[in-house]
Amino acid sequence: MTDAPILSASPILSASSVTHAFGGLIAVDGVSISVQRGEIFGLIGPNGAGKTTLFNIMTGLIAPNRGKLFFEGRETTRLPPYRIAERGIGRTFQNIRLFGELSVLENVMTGRHTRTHSNVLSGVLGLPAARAEERATRQQAMQLIDRIGLTDRAHVRAGSLPYGDQRRLEIVRALALEPRLLLLDEPAAGMNTREKQALSDFIRQVRNQYHLTIVIIEHHMPLVMGLCDRIAVMNFGQLIAIGVPAAVQRNPAVIEAYLGSRKFVDR
Amino acid sequence: MADFLSTYGSLIVSMILAAMLGLSLYLPLMSGQLSLAGAGFYALGGYIAAILSTKVFTTYSGDLYPVSYVLIEMIVAGIAAGALAVIVGILALRLRGVYLALATIAFVEILRVLSLNIDITGGAIGIFGVPQPFGTPIEYLWIALPMLLLSMLFVYRLERVRTGRALIAIREDELAAESIGINPTYHKVLAFMLSAILAGCVGALSAHVLNTWNARQGTFDAAIGHLAFVLVGGSRTFAGPVVGGLALTLLPEALRQLAGINGLPPWLAQFLREGRLILYGLLIVLGAINFPQGLITPAMFKHHRAAKDPTT
Repeated sequence: MTDAPILSASPILSASSVTHAFGGLIAVDGVSISVQRGEIFGLIGPNGAGKTTLFNIMTGLIAPNRGKLFFEGRETTRLPPYRIAERGIGRTFQNIRLFGELSVLENVMTGRHTRTHSNVLSGVLGLPAARAEERATRQQAMQLIDRIGLTDRAHVRAGSLPYGDQRRLEIVRALALEPRLLLLDEPAAGMNTREKQALSDFIRQVRNQYHLTIVIIEHHMPLVMGLCDRIAVMNFGQLIAIGVPAAVQRNPAVIEAYLGSRKFVDR
Repeated sequence: MADFLSTYGSLIVSMILAAMLGLSLYLPLMSGQLSLAGAGFYALGGYIAAILSTKVFTTYSGDLYPVSYVLIEMIVAGIAAGALAVIVGILALRLRGVYLALATIAFVEILRVLSLNIDITGGAIGIFGVPQPFGTPIEYLWIALPMLLLSMLFVYRLERVRTGRALIAIREDELAAESIGINPTYHKVLAFMLSAILAGCVGALSAHVLNTWNARQGTFDAAIGHLAFVLVGGSRTFAGPVVGGLALTLLPEALRQLAGINGLPPWLAQFLREGRLILYGLLIVLGAINFPQGLITPAMFKHHRAAKDPTT
């Protein structure tokens, strides 16, 4: 079903006993995960299981109370978000967070911030190096925009795009920073079945083309099962199962977590 | 024409200075930071120019103060304001929204109280007899106009390059900006520093224009005035604060002229002469309701920009 991932011995991302509490609520409770280079790794679990909090910890938006994080062998635990992005982790958000007043093109160009270097003076003065960089950035951004079919709307305000396009644009903005690890937080939310299939194909495509590792939070089971090489299941902040999709699907603890929350049956 | 220029010379120059002060407030606003500290840097620049021109650069030949000295004062004022802004910025920009605005008001007040109480600034009396580099007020345009055009060009360019996009990204969504690798503190402090440099330079020039400098310049009231330039003119494109600064500086004078028309009922004439603060307030309220983005909006330039873009 999936293309054979290029797995290597050393994990690209590893979390060891990561714990974080909001007041009395333990959102993430001693989670240890290793994500292998090249895989598409699914993170599932009922609402409130701590998946997004784990993403926020991985990207530095939240500093964990306990535990450590490593990306490509180097510790990232207390780094600010922009440093983690510089190291090569891109992400999208559950509630889309585009720069609404900027155009589609400007959103993607902004995504190349860490890959460009002109400073305020060279930029404003339009020095040759800055101009060349700006041209290259624009071109690279247009190529990415082309991939999601928004070329003719490149100059439209990002905030005015339809929902599905905003989701895709946010993925492309994260791709613009040339991440080696991409974290997608419910990228298919609000899409219909056909759009979900197209998104799934798109995710697999970019993984293969850019040799990415992808961690994806998603509720839509057919998409997760079809797309992911491995899946981790969280419930009440804890990791309750991890493995290939078929094994996770049969895991009694997983079935109970989903049946217990009634979610699995409803959807 | 010559008549017009000599009558309205000071007005035209102060309109241009106001436009730059509006721009100065606009710069931190590009990154979503409402800072009223510009008035403080403006006061600082004015004192630097007043002190340098009355106590340091006192030997020159001829009646007029050399223009080159004014330019040197402006550079010194810009550097001092910029350096102070980096320090204040690193401390204050941890605060967000209204708290940042309050902290910057405190900064303006601290500078004002300091200038009232130390000797070098002349205490409550201030500094008199700031020497004149020009014979008539309108000639200040030789400095003020190029300065305005340069700062407009600067901001226009800034909005279209990497650093400017990073600033706007922070304004639009700081969390998202951080997660694509933009360092928010660095960029906010940068915008704050650019704003202070501009305000400092304008202050230095203003000390000469006004011929005197004291603690009544660059106060909280002035800061609110600068804010009005941006709110009325528009806060989403650099043209907004420029138009706002020009218009709101012209307005009270225009009203004063209107009040001179024969046959007006006395109460109306008096209102036109003295009610400018009421009108300001009305304009800000009406503007906020009817033109929340200000009079000048980015959409006005949109067609133009898209047409010029080679990739479309």
